[in-house]
Amino acid sequence: MLAFVLAFIATALHIALCFAGAPLLTGIVNKLRAWLLGRRGPPVLQPYLHLAKLLRKTTLLPDTATELFILWPLGVFLAIAVAIMLIPGFATGMLTADAGDYITIVGLFALARAATMLGGLETGFGFGGAGAAREALFGLFAEGALLVLLLAFALLAQDTSLDGIATAFRSAHIGISVSLGFALAAMLTVALTETGRIPTDNPSGHLELAMVHEAMALEYSGRLLAFIDYAAMLRLLAWMNLIGTIFLPFGMARAAAFLSWPGGLLLWAGKLAVMAAALSVFEVSRAKMRVFRVPEFLGAALLLGMLAGVFLFVAARIGA
Amino acid sequence: MFGLPGQGMHLHLDALSLLFGCILLPQVAAAALAGMRGSVPFWAFVLGMGLTLLAGDGFTLILGFELMSAASWLLVMQGDAKPATLYAGVAIFSAACLIPAMFLPVSSLAFVLIAIGAGAKAGLAPLHSWLPRAHPAPPAGVSALMSGGMVKVALYVLIRYAFVVLAPAQQPWWGVALAAAGALSVLIGALRAVLEVELKTLLACSTVEYVGLIAVGLGLALYAKAIGDAELSGLALQAALLCAVAHGLFKPILFIGAGEVKHATGTTSLNWLGGMMRGTPRLGMLMLLGALGMAALPLGPGFAPEFLLFHAAIGAAATGGILARIGFSALLAVLGIGAALALAAAVRLIGLGFLGRPRSLHAAAAEDARRGPFLAMALLGVCCVPLALVPGLILDLLNPVIMLLAPAAQTPPLAYAPITLLVLAGIAALAAGFAQTRWGVRGLREVPAWNGGFGRSPAWLPFGDPHTQASATGFAEPIMRVLGKGLLGTAMTDPAERFLLAPLFRLQTKLIRLAERVRRATIRERLAFVFAALVACLLALGLGQGG
Repeated sequence: MLAFVLAFIATALHIALCFAGAPLLTGIVNKLRAWLLGRRGPPVLQPYLHLAKLLRKTTLLPDTATELFILWPLGVFLAIAVAIMLIPGFATGMLTADAGDYITIVGLFALARAATMLGGLETGFGFGGAGAAREALFGLFAEGALLVLLLAFALLAQDTSLDGIATAFRSAHIGISVSLGFALAAMLTVALTETGRIPTDNPSGHLELAMVHEAMALEYSGRLLAFIDYAAMLRLLAWMNLIGTIFLPFGMARAAAFLSWPGGLLLWAGKLAVMAAALSVFEVSRAKMRVFRVPEFLGAALLLGMLAGVFLFVAARIGA
Repeated sequence: MFGLPGQGMHLHLDALSLLFGCILLPQVAAAALAGMRGSVPFWAFVLGMGLTLLAGDGFTLILGFELMSAASWLLVMQGDAKPATLYAGVAIFSAACLIPAMFLPVSSLAFVLIAIGAGAKAGLAPLHSWLPRAHPAPPAGVSALMSGGMVKVALYVLIRYAFVVLAPAQQPWWGVALAAAGALSVLIGALRAVLEVELKTLLACSTVEYVGLIAVGLGLALYAKAIGDAELSGLALQAALLCAVAHGLFKPILFIGAGEVKHATGTTSLNWLGGMMRGTPRLGMLMLLGALGMAALPLGPGFAPEFLLFHAAIGAAATGGILARIGFSALLAVLGIGAALALAAAVRLIGLGFLGRPRSLHAAAAEDARRGPFLAMALLGVCCVPLALVPGLILDLLNPVIMLLAPAAQTPPLAYAPITLLVLAGIAALAAGFAQTRWGVRGLREVPAWNGGFGRSPAWLPFGDPHTQASATGFAEPIMRVLGKGLLGTAMTDPAERFLLAPLFRLQTKLIRLAERVRRATIRERLAFVFAALVACLLALGLGQGG
């Protein structure tokens, strides 16, 4: 009973922190990026102000859009929100652990992608259609790579739920293996594409022809745009949580052990800060690539994911 | 009664036939509602399918199967005579493989013949290229039943023989071969579904993909059963059977919907549709539900089978020899790419056909689905709901079938819980609603679209210039450029047509020329031929007696 109450509180805490903290994370990344480029940058709390501003603005409905125009931002937001509730953050053993299978998470990301693409096609103008077509292309290799990666994780952890993977990687002596190195490289590639960062897309870009994610949201305004922007912030946090859970599970708290929470929370914040710093350093040191280079980039991720699995087979064969 | 002399006709009902009967039932009802009630060939078609499922001996099975083929050939012919010939050819080829297999002893040869015969009828690669031509031809209700039901009956024959009748002789390579053919179907079907412009052809290509998914599941189950992996065989069978159930529900919705699109606009080309959600909301919403299943997205009817299939592929890659494991990880990659392609195809169907601006006046003035087809689609849509929300319960119902097919199989509980996801989504929606009422303003204002700052279109173009909107070909162009050219070649033809059908056509032309040459022979040539034949005959006789 106590364990259940503790797990409930941990889950609620995780959800509340994720929902409240996602804009802050985006703010920190933007600030760090600006610093690295030698600018002062917007305040760290700017994303909150941005969302509040959007909520108070009139929402415009393009006359060429159908009645479902308002459904797609909601779909994006809900899919990402459910995903972030299922991905462990500071603690393992949350109430949502059983539903948080890796493939369910991949499916939820795919649902969000489909809703974004439909939102882009909704008004029937060129930019949205072009963005959706590109997103469909990127999705092919991203989804393939993500699923192949699961093979390596499932072989190492004997489990396919994120909670199980985190628990196994935290406790067992997996060590540093070549497979996990390949898997990390592949995962980061997919994460950069899915969250729309450089080198595949530019979150601060305003040149329509080069945009992918932004192009699909061009016709949205007001509270519908707030949903889309907030979902993008949540998506960044969700991917950081996903990578943190799988590759940096050390020091994660147990939901049933209350005393491990403060350490887990602190380490979680530390991991997110490190990942935010790494992301901004990577972004300012890279140029955006051409759209048709991206499949090669993601194809490399798919191959690395396959290699991660194959190395495990070979290791099992030679008994290493 | 009918039947082989002295043996008669045997009917037999078990869990497997019952399951496939249950898959057929809603589709038959829907197709009848969609306007096929009065058609005699349609009911013969249904009778043939039912007889195949109920057959207790090989003769009855073939009788039902051929009745189904013949009746559906008539129905295809009513729609379009051109693919009907190809369709009849494939049906005869499949019969030529199935009939000898029924009377062969239990062996690998029998399995190969069954797999080729039933696979050709189900549209399994590389014998699939007739399917995207023939399935769109007949009226929508029949297309729906052919895609959702007839391919399932063919797969039923495959399952019945591979798992039950031929079980004593089974080998691991049967499953591997079936899974390889399935993976090929998934890739080609899903890719062509993204590239096709005609709505019904697109849906038929997606059927090829789903047949591939089912075949992958069956192949993994056969492989696991042969090597004695109880858990994997249970998981893979769950995946394959649930996939068959799901596909039998959402694909007929889409086909009947495509028929209504044709009725309302006179075309099924995505390049002439657009914005239909405005004029035909009932049709549009049901098509959206079908597309949700086709894309295998969570909370839709198609996700649970796909989920199980991925787990089965991972389970297969975790055991066995190293080459098999590498092969199964490649299978996993193919399934992942196939799922993403299916998503792109479904988004393209809805996004270009039903959202955006109308590309023609017909699409702008389309009227909503008629009563019969609407009721048919709604019936199937209601059947999708339990599959989408409580797939675990449906899996429990499948247990007797799995026990029949693989008595040793273990069926683990499903780890995908849509109800939990719904509850979590509800919490998020409540929180969002609260934030919006607390800090936001209400109301929507309709304005001209921003469109990158371009001006309004002139009055003679009420929906703007259709060419400024992504076309069906344009939407698929990036995928065509990256994946399509490699797999289909620059001419964008199916590899099966290039390497299988085209050589057959060339052979046929050569044979016709030869026959024509024989027909035009002069009297001297004919006499010489008769004389030569006589000499050869006598020579053979003499040599035979002398030796």
